[in-house]
Amino acid sequence: MTKSKKNVKRVGETHVNAAKERFPGAITDVFWAAEEQPVLTVNADSAPDVIEYLYYERGGWMPVMVGNDERSLAGVYALYYILSMEEEDPCYLMVRVEVPADTCEFYAVSPKVPAAVWSEREVQDMFGLHATGIIDNRNLVLPDDWPQGLYPLRKDTMDYRFRPEPTRDVENYEFLKDTGGHHTTTLPMGPMHMTSDEPGHFRLYVDGEDIIDADYRMFFVHRGMEKCAESRMNYDTVPFLAERICGICGFAHSTAYVETIEQAQGIEVPLRAQYIRSIILETERLHSHLLNLGLVCHYSGFDTGFQHYFRVREKSMDLAEMLTGARKTYGINLIGGVRRDILAEQKTATLKYIEDLRSEVNNLVEELLSTANFINRAAGVGILDPKIARDYSPVGPTVRGSGFARDARWVHPFDGYKYIADKHKPITQDTNDVKGRTLVRVGETLDSMDIIQELLQAELPDGPVLNDKATVQPHRYAVSATEAPRGEDLHWSMIGDNQKCYRWRAKASTYSNWPVLRYMFRGNTISDAALIVGSIDPCYSCTERMTIVDVKKNKQQVVTKQQLEDYCRTRTHSPLDM
Amino acid sequence: MLKTIKEIFRTGDATVKYPFAPIERPPYARGKPEHDVAACIACAACAVACPPNAIQMKVDPKGGTITWSINYGRCVFCGRCEEVCPTKAIKLSEEFELAVMDKNDLEETCTYPLQRCSECGTYFASAKEVDYAVRILRQGEDDDEKQRAAASATICPKCKQKADAYRAKRRSALMGVQQ
Repeated sequence: MTKSKKNVKRVGETHVNAAKERFPGAITDVFWAAEEQPVLTVNADSAPDVIEYLYYERGGWMPVMVGNDERSLAGVYALYYILSMEEEDPCYLMVRVEVPADTCEFYAVSPKVPAAVWSEREVQDMFGLHATGIIDNRNLVLPDDWPQGLYPLRKDTMDYRFRPEPTRDVENYEFLKDTGGHHTTTLPMGPMHMTSDEPGHFRLYVDGEDIIDADYRMFFVHRGMEKCAESRMNYDTVPFLAERICGICGFAHSTAYVETIEQAQGIEVPLRAQYIRSIILETERLHSHLLNLGLVCHYSGFDTGFQHYFRVREKSMDLAEMLTGARKTYGINLIGGVRRDILAEQKTATLKYIEDLRSEVNNLVEELLSTANFINRAAGVGILDPKIARDYSPVGPTVRGSGFARDARWVHPFDGYKYIADKHKPITQDTNDVKGRTLVRVGETLDSMDIIQELLQAELPDGPVLNDKATVQPHRYAVSATEAPRGEDLHWSMIGDNQKCYRWRAKASTYSNWPVLRYMFRGNTISDAALIVGSIDPCYSCTERMTIVDVKKNKQQVVTKQQLEDYCRTRTHSPLDM
Repeated sequence: MLKTIKEIFRTGDATVKYPFAPIERPPYARGKPEHDVAACIACAACAVACPPNAIQMKVDPKGGTITWSINYGRCVFCGRCEEVCPTKAIKLSEEFELAVMDKNDLEETCTYPLQRCSECGTYFASAKEVDYAVRILRQGEDDDEKQRAAASATICPKCKQKADAYRAKRRSALMGVQQ
């Protein structure tokens, strides 16, 4: 590395040059999609190697891969492997791989970089592009009874309102199990409970009380939002849809979406709006972390603590309502800025709220940490091995609890965080367990309050909070990420020539965290399962239904969420009568 | 343990009496959009801006009416309609208790007459919108231009195009004579 700094003109250029040097002839085109986002078009056969090199040797992590039907633009399908370069020269880098429209085949990256596996499975489902050599060839998104050969996100296949007739009645999804030679039979159970709002199906393979292996299935309630946005909504109304992806981190999603458009089109956001976005994002983090800390109390049998966390959390909801006009789904993001200013009296009131919250939260944290139950239940449980974490790119407190300083706010500072990035750093723990992840959340809750104070007390220029004078051009794309309470929310969008999104890809933070859950389950007992799932902070009803297979006795049994929760708290009266 | 019990006594009741007593919402909270029937000109700006298509416009070309409708079941209370309305005919109120026993009660409609073209007689735009345009045009400075603009406001775009085409044809014919 003798290259002088002078030659480095653009963000990400060091990675581009290093990849060119290492793989001569593999990279056919380089351009910058946005100011700080290089795009490398790579030959199909060298893509896995280039991505492996960037991922493991240059400090890359992979949030998601985006598939796009570009047949009407370039005659091919395109895959964008998005890499978050987090060591030197941090940036988001896209590796573009073209997939011929006639063969629809590409070389899978997942054998070399397992983090790509969910995205590649999704591209197989949604676009019918076959990943040769993929490590897991099962459906991810599409249900078992979906007609073969109907690929929802191809531009020429179906209207977004089309509901095909179910083609078969039997489940043909195979659950993975790696139980070290034990023979098991599996009965189809579920797959979901009609009343649960967010169903997922879990299978634990157990030997007595110990979990040997686990697998699960999601996407029973895939909402088809991306298709809906592409066909029905205008690109400027999508922020309101994006906000409804998640009931907790909605603002993080709408911010991520509007910033993809702003980045791609070079729209300047007023400074004041950048600060306001960060303040609201931190308000959102406050209520989400307080909710999760309350749940940790609940699952370690300390229900009084749970009630108190929820009492205090209500203050953060009030704060959000005062600042934005709604408790949730704030609806204040627009492309180019925000719709509401923070007025002087609101600023004073916010600072008052933060003061109250700080003393309350300090009290509660002290109580939680001095509860013997909590340490007993959380320490050493649900270990996420840093090696597994490195392979699968999990995000948020899940990865920070395993010692990695991944936090989009400080690694790729955006919005108001840009101006205070030197005073903060990601909060990490290196115990790799549920306790570590909880302590990360505790630290971040306190840090959030500092951030809100710092941002509010900064000398802000007066002026508009919305820049609505921008012009947009079709077919430009960019990626943008925000740090939601559970980790990085990442969006990718391309505007078409009809006032709509040509393609919008929204990756929620938990999408990155599910693949590692299997490894976190292994070696724990059934009573820890609810606690472990809770420690990645998904929506809780995902554990609504769980099948337990005893690998020695070859028996199956369904345990309800209530039984599992009770067992998690009391640790007596096992729900298993095997 | 002792600390927890102390905390319980210190904080007391955290719950409020709602729904048995009214609850106060902060100023600027977004609630039910209220439609001002008189101020609305049925221009459809709100229907275009509405993200979930809660506000829709329906034209009846035979009856000569345009119907504005809102479905509060679809409304997401974002307030885009309030922002884009040229006459401030929609305002978000503080009301948020919108539950009804009958789903049909969630929908409100308001019908406005359409304007007939003074040349060909077809309906082409909301009458109140045309009137609004005339009132704006009358605020200009040039009297001559004002009158001409106001007079042509009730002509539909098709007839205007036709008139323009004839005028252009006449002009080129005249120029041909001069040459």
